[in-house]
Amino acid sequence: MNDLFVRGWWRARRTPASAADARGASDPRLTTARRRLLIMAGAFLLCFGTLAARTFDVAVIGAPGTVARSTATAPTDSAARADIVDRNGILLASNLPTHALYIEPRAIPAPQEAIAALAGVLPDLDRDRLAHLAASDRTFAWVRRDLTPEQAHAVNRLGIPGLGFKREERRVYPQGRLLAHALGYTDVDNRGLSGFEKAADEELRRRAAAGDGPLALSIDLRVQHALAEVLERTMTAHRAAGAAGIVMDVDSGALLALVSLPAFDPKAPHRSRPAARFNRATLGTYELGSTFKPFTAAMALDMGLARLEDRYDATEPLKVSRFLIRDHHPENRWLTVPEILAHSSNIGAARMAVDVGPERQKAFLKALGMFEPVPLETPERGRPIVPRRWGDIATMTIGFGHGLAVTPLHLVTGFAALVNGGFRVTPTLLKYGPSERAAPQRVISAETSAVMRKLLYLAVAEGTGEKAEAAGYLVGGKTGTAEKAIGGSYRRSSLISNFVGAFPIDRPRYAVLALLDEPKGTPETYGFATAGWTAAPVVGDVISRIGPILGIPPSTAPDATGEEAALARADNERGRHASF
Amino acid sequence: MRRIAVIASIGAIVVAMLALFIVKYEVRDLERALAALDLEKQRHVEAIRVLRSEWSYLNRPARIADLTARYLTLEPVRPWQVRQLRANAGEAFAAAALAHQGDTR
Repeated sequence: MNDLFVRGWWRARRTPASAADARGASDPRLTTARRRLLIMAGAFLLCFGTLAARTFDVAVIGAPGTVARSTATAPTDSAARADIVDRNGILLASNLPTHALYIEPRAIPAPQEAIAALAGVLPDLDRDRLAHLAASDRTFAWVRRDLTPEQAHAVNRLGIPGLGFKREERRVYPQGRLLAHALGYTDVDNRGLSGFEKAADEELRRRAAAGDGPLALSIDLRVQHALAEVLERTMTAHRAAGAAGIVMDVDSGALLALVSLPAFDPKAPHRSRPAARFNRATLGTYELGSTFKPFTAAMALDMGLARLEDRYDATEPLKVSRFLIRDHHPENRWLTVPEILAHSSNIGAARMAVDVGPERQKAFLKALGMFEPVPLETPERGRPIVPRRWGDIATMTIGFGHGLAVTPLHLVTGFAALVNGGFRVTPTLLKYGPSERAAPQRVISAETSAVMRKLLYLAVAEGTGEKAEAAGYLVGGKTGTAEKAIGGSYRRSSLISNFVGAFPIDRPRYAVLALLDEPKGTPETYGFATAGWTAAPVVGDVISRIGPILGIPPSTAPDATGEEAALARADNERGRHASF
Repeated sequence: MRRIAVIASIGAIVVAMLALFIVKYEVRDLERALAALDLEKQRHVEAIRVLRSEWSYLNRPARIADLTARYLTLEPVRPWQVRQLRANAGEAFAAAALAHQGDTR
């Protein structure tokens, strides 16, 4: 039909009017109508043609763009904070979904009934507070945060209008108190408030957002448990106020265990006593006593100011102005350097320190990092208390560990440098620590370090650290017992007993420190609370427990046969006679 | 001829439109299924988080030690149970070398 019109119209245009008249289509209005009709038809044809083409495209050919959009909406694991695992991948901290219940008082039709029903589901709810809330004209109030999924479901089933849930996340610590001080804790909004959680706050968020997976610590949970258990047992036995312990890899500075007792519950940190939240291992500064003597010996030996066979006069207490330096285990004779360490002679150490002098002593201790907070991934880092005037007296007392207060972490960090071949270490809580350790910084020579290992072995095998001997491993270390300075004077009854050692001392891998705060004597220790009776056995026990866990081959033969152990011992004694 | 073309094109349009409707409903169903799956996945992910925490909680060293003492006859590893593979390899190497020496002699 249409094309008939078109043809007619076309012809009408081209032919003269007379010819058009002959065909009976001469009315000009009709011509106009036809033309408009044609334009309309063309427009419709265009539109529907486009639609048809697009329809064909979508339905038959298929449009790939639409598919991509759908898959991109799939949600991922949406925790606000990355998990923390130990060096073996055991979960130490994680975020779990919880529900927070809120109330919209204006929207509740029958407040009294609603509260009664709610109390039936959540029995420990404060009904008075809730009644007060419901009667007020506030638009919004929290009822309870941290509901378990079951509780949330139960509340939901009540079907009360005006109650609602907000999905939240809560930090959980499956290992509880065991890692309280190392990990720290977070607030309800998942912000780190202390410990590693605070130091690594940004990194944990970044990892969660980027989906980088959990953050691995250098802590070994098994070692942590062994250290914490032995420390706790000893602390209870000696009725100590607190305890601290550290296990460190002497080469990398990685901390395998970091214990401070008493511990707190990271789930509810504010319910614990402030003393329990205090990190004795990294924040508490103590005058550590004789555990500083190895540093004095190392600096004197390394600077060539003393030889092993040199003797120091320890026949009688040393009087310096108004101070009297006396020995705890007096030998009342001239002592060699190994004997000074083994018998823990204050007089000998003081004389050795005087030979070194204040300036060189300061420089040496500074190189070991004893004047600055130890860098570690935690905000609780204690600043050492350094004497303002560092004269001869300070030099002497610091020679045997008094007058300079440092944290246990300082001690173990410095000690690691003495036995690892002479390199300063940077402690870390990260399994994959910073790369700056690529350039080791030498503190003492390799030869001095080798001699120190022997001296420290003797201090355990023949000296005050006897009880640190561990089944199967050769241990080298030093005891330290200091009286606590309280209100400006030292108290004889308040002791800091500590021991720092390394094993296997012939080729040290790990340093172990134990510290007891105000231990009391027991009948088993004949009333003694000094380090040799309290801290040293802790280290011995811990080493024989963690050695096999860490896969360290034993240095001595089993006690059952006896002979080999004696042989190994004899070998060492021969070695000692040969070299000293 | 023309008539056939017109009818064919109309037919094609009808077919295409029907196909479009079918595809549209299919897409809607698939999107619903996807949303349901996403929700389910989210639930599973959360469940896994909870289970992991629980697993870690149940594997606390203190608890394992207690359970072991109560129900098993296992004891902690003694230092002398650790042997170094390298030392053994060294001994074996030395023994092999010595044996070889014996052969050539």
